[in-house]
Amino acid sequence: MHILIYGIINSFALALMAIGFTLVYGISRLPNFAHGALYVVTGFLVWSFLHLLKVHYILAILLSLVIMAMVGAMIYRFILIRVRGMATSEIIASYALGLAILEALRWGGFKGMTYTLPVFIEGSINISGIPVDLQRIIVIGIGIIVVTFMWLFTHYNKIGLALRGMAQDEHAAIMLGIDSDWMAVIAMSLGSILAGLSSIVLLPLGNIVVEAGYNVLILSIAVCIVGGLGSWVGAVLAAFMIGFVQIITVAYIQSHFHMVVALLAIIITLIVKPSGLFGKQKELEERV
Amino acid sequence: MNRKHLWKWACVLFLLIGLMSIPFLGLDVAEAQKPIVLGAPLSTAFLYGWDSERAIKLAVEEINAKGGVTVGKEKRPFKVEVMDTRDLEPGVPVSDALLVVEKLILEKEADFIVGGPVRSEAALAAMDLLSKYKKVSILSTGVLTPLYHKRVGDEYEKFKYCFRITGEVVWMVTGEFIPCLMDIKAKYGLNKLFIMVQDVAHARAGGDIVEKMAKERGWEVLGKEVYPTGTTDYSVGLIKAKKDNAQVILIWMDMPETSILLKQWYDMKVPALPFGTIISAAEQPGFWKATEGKGEYCLASVVNAGNAPSKATPWTMRFVEAYQKRWGLEPEGYGTSTSYMTPYVLKDAIERAGSLKSDDVVTALEKTDMMGVYGRIKFNPKNHQIIPSIDPNEGAVGTIFQWQAGKRITVFPPKIAMGEIKLPPWMKK
Repeated sequence: MHILIYGIINSFALALMAIGFTLVYGISRLPNFAHGALYVVTGFLVWSFLHLLKVHYILAILLSLVIMAMVGAMIYRFILIRVRGMATSEIIASYALGLAILEALRWGGFKGMTYTLPVFIEGSINISGIPVDLQRIIVIGIGIIVVTFMWLFTHYNKIGLALRGMAQDEHAAIMLGIDSDWMAVIAMSLGSILAGLSSIVLLPLGNIVVEAGYNVLILSIAVCIVGGLGSWVGAVLAAFMIGFVQIITVAYIQSHFHMVVALLAIIITLIVKPSGLFGKQKELEERV
Repeated sequence: MNRKHLWKWACVLFLLIGLMSIPFLGLDVAEAQKPIVLGAPLSTAFLYGWDSERAIKLAVEEINAKGGVTVGKEKRPFKVEVMDTRDLEPGVPVSDALLVVEKLILEKEADFIVGGPVRSEAALAAMDLLSKYKKVSILSTGVLTPLYHKRVGDEYEKFKYCFRITGEVVWMVTGEFIPCLMDIKAKYGLNKLFIMVQDVAHARAGGDIVEKMAKERGWEVLGKEVYPTGTTDYSVGLIKAKKDNAQVILIWMDMPETSILLKQWYDMKVPALPFGTIISAAEQPGFWKATEGKGEYCLASVVNAGNAPSKATPWTMRFVEAYQKRWGLEPEGYGTSTSYMTPYVLKDAIERAGSLKSDDVVTALEKTDMMGVYGRIKFNPKNHQIIPSIDPNEGAVGTIFQWQAGKRITVFPPKIAMGEIKLPPWMKK
């Protein structure tokens, strides 16, 4: 039973971390390697609003998400737009930006283990005799809300449909009057909000440390590669696969191999099915 | 030449001699004021780096305020040059730390190396560099490996410039952790142990030694989990510990995510006492606030006394208060009190040696015998490791404290204990 419960929690945590990354790539074909840095920045932003400016927790969260949306848009308008279409340069530029952000945080004094965010609701419950704290239940709840929202947004909203159009065929979408750069700005903003949201939900479980940025990036890349780069449905499924395998590994093999699972998943996917589970566009390219 | 001319020439000559001696006088003045440079290679973004930096600076400020160090007949101040080695950061090669040590020696003209490097691999590699430049080094933070003083013992002539003023892992396990576990066993009748360690060399080795020794002393070891660095979920391991009726969870981890482990332990109400042998997250005074009190009852070792309040020696609380006044919080991690003592020990050795020459200072350091913040400070003259003890009058004492009602209460060794180990309410039947 504990494998089922904590497997679901772990899977939603992974899905939350990765969905922003895959959204940006799926729509603008931009691999946003600053994703982990944005995750950490949001944590420190909320912390600063809470402890330095003494803002209410909910307001601190909302303000941080608004700032993250603006940061995402600016990253595209001022940096990534200049290297758009040059895959290697996109990776280098976004990764360098992520590194710069993380190092700047450290330089700015955000180091140590005492930066934390309060949990949304204190306490724990027992599910079939397995104790689970309420913050982890909230992770599941917000995970479901985000996945549902993403589905509704990309199926019933004009902007969402335009984003899907961009993801399917950029040239065709441009011919139909969709502004490619504007969509990329929206995608980057939305991706940054999702990175921030995952940070706000997950960081109360532990503490805010700069190093978390690298781990989040690695896990997001693993989920996206297994799910198929650019497919958010694939990302959710991959998050469940990796999430459950991680928990089963800890329960029946050794906790030692916990992180290996994600990295092994990348290698196996790249060997067996490079396009990932749902990377249909890439699959077609591979066939051609 | 008449007498008038003679006087004139004599005055000119005196004037010239006077003028020519001014630069030399100036040099003499400058020489008297020339500071003794302490080069500190530290991983400043991490607890074991910045606590050391703060402690060294505090000691140097105190020493300089009292007139500095007497070298022969002159008084000279200390000057600290700190450089970031980044050696505690994942992926940073050892060679980077070595470059920093070399830079401190060549560019900053450090007379002595103090503090780090912090990670064992970097410190071991730096030994050859210190030997090459004949620079006396006193290691005061990080580096728990017994290999460090073993190398000094094995190749004394080569590595005689290397001293370590902080604890090492063999003593910590045999002299502190196991006796503390035995105290818990005797007092509360607990004998079921579950081990959780981080997947790094020192933690794996430490976990193995504790497992072996605990078994030999009547503890039942129910399991051992090894977690990769950065693990953010410990639920499965904690459920295993709970299911197997573990009574003590021994933790050996230096990653920040250990606070997640303790939060989960609290939320799941696991009926086992968390014993952090190395648990960096719980060492810091800010831990209570960071975990909103969920880390209560956690035991943590801070390696040396003085890193948490205690009355090990008359100097201990003076240091705790001075640190608090200077930096706004209590001493933070396990390299704090040792790093604070380093400039004092050097001052004592330099003054006895009457010179800054490395060989003279080495000889003087080998004869060091002073009461410090964490007990009597003496180096083993054969391997330059500080001599440990559980009695502050005999040697350097360690500290194991427990978080109780928001405070770090020293509970081991008994001679310096400020309170007793308590069990969480959900462990009491």
